[in-house]
Amino acid sequence: MKSFLPVVAATVVLAVLQLLLGTSEYFVYLTSLVGVNVVLAVSLNIINGMTGQFSIGHAGFMAVGAYVAGTTSLILKDDQLSFLPPAVSDQLFLLLALLLGGGTAGLFGFLVGLPSLRLRGDYLAIVTLGFGEIIRVVIQNSDGLSKSLGAVPGLSLVGSFVGKFGGALGVSGVPQRSTFFMVWFWVFVLVLLARRLADSSHGRWLKAIREDEVAAEAMGVDTTSYKVRAFVVSSFFAGIAGGLFAHFVPIINPGSFTFVKSMEVVVMIVAGGLGSTTGAIVAAVFLTLLPEGLRSLFLQLGGGDASLAQKVDQVRMPIYGVLLVLIMLTRSQGLFGTHEAWDLWKRRKPAEAKA
Amino acid sequence: MSAPLLEAKKVSIRFGGLKALTDFSLTLSRGDLKGLIGPNGAGKTTAFNVLTGVYAPTEGEVVVAGERVNGKRPFQINRLGVARTFQNIRLFKQLTALDNVRIAILPETKRWFDAGRVQALKRGSGVQRALGAALDATDNYRDWWRAFLRTPGFLAEEAVVTAKAEELLSVMGLSHRKDELASSLPYGEQRRLEMARALGTKPNVLLLDEPAAGMNTREKADLMVLIRQLRDQFQVGILVIEHDMKLVMGICEHLTVLDHGETIASGDPALVRKDAKVIEAYLGEAPAHVA
Repeated sequence: MKSFLPVVAATVVLAVLQLLLGTSEYFVYLTSLVGVNVVLAVSLNIINGMTGQFSIGHAGFMAVGAYVAGTTSLILKDDQLSFLPPAVSDQLFLLLALLLGGGTAGLFGFLVGLPSLRLRGDYLAIVTLGFGEIIRVVIQNSDGLSKSLGAVPGLSLVGSFVGKFGGALGVSGVPQRSTFFMVWFWVFVLVLLARRLADSSHGRWLKAIREDEVAAEAMGVDTTSYKVRAFVVSSFFAGIAGGLFAHFVPIINPGSFTFVKSMEVVVMIVAGGLGSTTGAIVAAVFLTLLPEGLRSLFLQLGGGDASLAQKVDQVRMPIYGVLLVLIMLTRSQGLFGTHEAWDLWKRRKPAEAKA
Repeated sequence: MSAPLLEAKKVSIRFGGLKALTDFSLTLSRGDLKGLIGPNGAGKTTAFNVLTGVYAPTEGEVVVAGERVNGKRPFQINRLGVARTFQNIRLFKQLTALDNVRIAILPETKRWFDAGRVQALKRGSGVQRALGAALDATDNYRDWWRAFLRTPGFLAEEAVVTAKAEELLSVMGLSHRKDELASSLPYGEQRRLEMARALGTKPNVLLLDEPAAGMNTREKADLMVLIRQLRDQFQVGILVIEHDMKLVMGICEHLTVLDHGETIASGDPALVRKDAKVIEAYLGEAPAHVA
């Protein structure tokens, strides 16, 4: 099966890298952070770039994934599959938690997308922004919600699950199971999906909606259904990203999933070029490493004094803003436009095949 | 003459107080080549929009292949066999010519659950509806899995889609443009690409909205040959909106004339052009064209 070859190859390469580099704590933390942001950017690009529906509430779905996956792992913390090495067993439990988190986020994506994707342009942006904030605020008040849910017969289990969200304080003590391998495996899966989708009838229908919704509808494309589907898949992966995030940060709280986080992802895909998966990846990597780079730069400037380096988070957003303005002025379609790195490779291939 | 594939029965449409179309009736059968003419603002494009489901009729009904389609969405009407082009060309501009046509072609995916039975369930009671929707969704998301996993079946379907699209491009004389962006094609070729795209949906009837607009005399002459050829080759019924009298009189076997949303004449082109009301409303404005 030629189609599975990339997956097998990536699994082997990632496993080797994991064994070689997986022990360096800083490396794992940094690459995980980058990986999570790449997943967020590439998944948001499916709805914003490919389908052309401007959604700016991605952090909300990330939050759903983070809380569901994190809490699941917290509950199953002490369980082990005794017939497997502990590390492997941990990864399987992590995978289970991630799928639960992603699935729940996908379900939320469906519930949010169904009514709101009938709107267009600015209206859709405002509604998704609103939903993203609602999700965050509900989590912030999870204690009350937990009590109400617990009172409903049949939902007591959900109630006690939500009760572990911890309101504004957040969830701590989630086992730190996230690994370089798991994060980048999901990056790989999503990028492969985005690429293969773009080059299939289904991806072309999404692009048709972006180009001209009226014409797409006249050519037999069920635009509403396709927009919702793109939204669900996008939310699912945002949930996965949240789940991964929950497993390498010491604490998850609503503050991590604000509007600022959503905007960060939007900036990434706009800077990279709406509709380009390559652009989303490059911009996500660059914009994640930028504050880290600034932090060490400031540390040097301050002569080892950490107080200056701590200010990085305050100047990060203005720097993003200036960068975005510069990109829009000089290259309004974003770094890559709608081009992909692999198109260069593909364009050569058919020519060779014919020769 | 076979049974009509598309029929408008006394269709009226009102936007607020404005009567855009009044008692519009028309039938289109396989192999028909009919024309819809009228001065600017007569309601021709509105008629197209009603026939293709962009607007729902205020009164009357539209019947496609024996099914009443009032209130159905455009994509559903398209799947019943009605395809169209647009007056102001609506191609997918940033996609290649080949992709434009491929989008219109539905891959022949074998579904897990019988489409007819799922539709029947969806029309049923609450539980049945939910079940129908769930089965439908299962099949829909399965499509994406197949696209992701690139299963052999999926690749075979995609190859068929590409082959069909390339064939349509070649019929339209656009093969050499297949990898170019739609927006970079010359005007006449964009019009032809739009027709290729419409044919990709396997229509029974084809509605062409001013296909000759912006074309020079020679291109128009070629277009007349092409439209006839399409009718014969694809066995479709064609309805043309056109301003160019020479073209309309040259190819149409039946004309309907609209003015202020009302049908003022309809029938044989030779008779219609002599109709006093038509001359007054339309042809009278430009006698040079008619002569």
